[in-house]
Amino acid sequence: MISTTAMIYTVIDGLRGLRENIVTTVLSSLTVAFALAIFSLFIIIFANLNSFVEGMGDRTHIVAYVKDGALSTKNGVDEKAVEKVYKSVAGLAGVVSVEYISKKDAFKILKTEMKDNQALLEGVSPDILPASFEIRLAADKITAKDIRLVVESLKDKPWVEDIQHGTEWAERFGAILGFMEAAAIFLGLFLGGATIFIISNTIRLAVYARRDEIEIMRYLGAPNIYIKTPFLIEGIAEGAIGGLIALVALFVGDLVLGIYIPKELVFILDNPFSLLLLFILLLLGGLILGVVGSIFSLGRFLKV
Amino acid sequence: MIQLFHVSKDYEGGVPALADLSFKIEKGEFVFVTGSSGAGKSTLLNVIFGSEQATSGQVIVDGRNYSRLPAREVPGLRRKIGFIFQDFKLINTKSVFDNVALTLRILGLGNAEIRSRVMKALTYVNLKHRANFKPLMLSGGEQQRVAVARALVKDPAILLADEPTGNLDPELALKMMQLFQEVNSRGTTVVIATHDQAMIDRMGKRTINLHGGRLTRR
Repeated sequence: MISTTAMIYTVIDGLRGLRENIVTTVLSSLTVAFALAIFSLFIIIFANLNSFVEGMGDRTHIVAYVKDGALSTKNGVDEKAVEKVYKSVAGLAGVVSVEYISKKDAFKILKTEMKDNQALLEGVSPDILPASFEIRLAADKITAKDIRLVVESLKDKPWVEDIQHGTEWAERFGAILGFMEAAAIFLGLFLGGATIFIISNTIRLAVYARRDEIEIMRYLGAPNIYIKTPFLIEGIAEGAIGGLIALVALFVGDLVLGIYIPKELVFILDNPFSLLLLFILLLLGGLILGVVGSIFSLGRFLKV
Repeated sequence: MIQLFHVSKDYEGGVPALADLSFKIEKGEFVFVTGSSGAGKSTLLNVIFGSEQATSGQVIVDGRNYSRLPAREVPGLRRKIGFIFQDFKLINTKSVFDNVALTLRILGLGNAEIRSRVMKALTYVNLKHRANFKPLMLSGGEQQRVAVARALVKDPAILLADEPTGNLDPELALKMMQLFQEVNSRGTTVVIATHDQAMIDRMGKRTINLHGGRLTRR
């Protein structure tokens, strides 16, 4: 067993080691900071794009265009036929809302959208635009497969002229996000492994530089924990300092990148976590890298 | 306190350093280990200290048999032993004070007690004025006295000393011997390896004489 006083000495010794090996301490801390900052940036961008896609639930919808004359009489829209189609579409699985856009409504929308170029629409009849049903799906029904199911059940209806939907877009975006997820895991493992390797080598150098001191401590009867703790403290401190530097680097990076990235894309840099959570995550990440690197090194190079 | 039964130690290539040694040193005894260079004095002290393992035989120190002592219990036994190494084994990056204090820090003593005991030990070896010096700033004799202070500061149950006066002038050497005697009178078992026959004769203590690793007198 080791007394509390002896443990305090080992902690002080570890902190003194940081000061004595200031160059390796700074380099190790910067490595941890670099790895954490790159990985965090990747996670932040991934989280923002993911939530952007989830938000697409409101915007992702299916538009079924109505064949000319299919739901109308000589006098205009056949309200009963529209009502019937409306009910049948609303009854499809995953559909949360259906809106009928008549030719007139479609023209009004077009006019609103082209308010700066009204002259282009002069003399144009509202009849040139088709009527349509705008179908919105539930937020959890926006995968390509679910959209396709609804489309399949609509396309053979006699009143349908054409169907527009975001299946292809969702598939592509889903594939990109899937790739990003795999890349995040790979990047995390690679950067984590590289950082642990560098920290373990820093500790190895520290152990090597102090090998005579370690031998003397053994002769004086120092228990293993007394000999190992200073090196563990060095690793922990390097990890923690690296975590804090990463936090500062992310803030500075956010400010700098914010200037160069187009306004429409700035959202990808928004911090999806609270400041406190980000601080805790980075600190914890640094500590884990530091501890694992030290333990790995002490296990291999300091068999006492 | 220290018992050896048929202890032999061979170095790599089968070079014998100790051959079939059996003897006993009682608690509180003061013993010289003597012999010419290469007789096995240092090896014997190392085997008693546990920094070298006997090739065969049993070494029992303070009731613990090294051949059956789990590795985790070795530090506990070493904390009871003060060893003055022939090459001093001081940490060159630490001050004289810190070198001597380290042994008490390992024991977990508080700052105030460490300061008082270290300064007392440095006073005994006439090095109080060198407390803040690094070992490499000291002469060989002064470094040896730091090693003596470090071994004595913890009031060890056993004191092992390998040529502790080798770098000292006769006057200082005698003073160190008087110091060891004083420690011994307080109950510490003292084993000193030396080839200083004049000193051995002057002290009149029990002598274990080695020749080629064998016991010639005990």
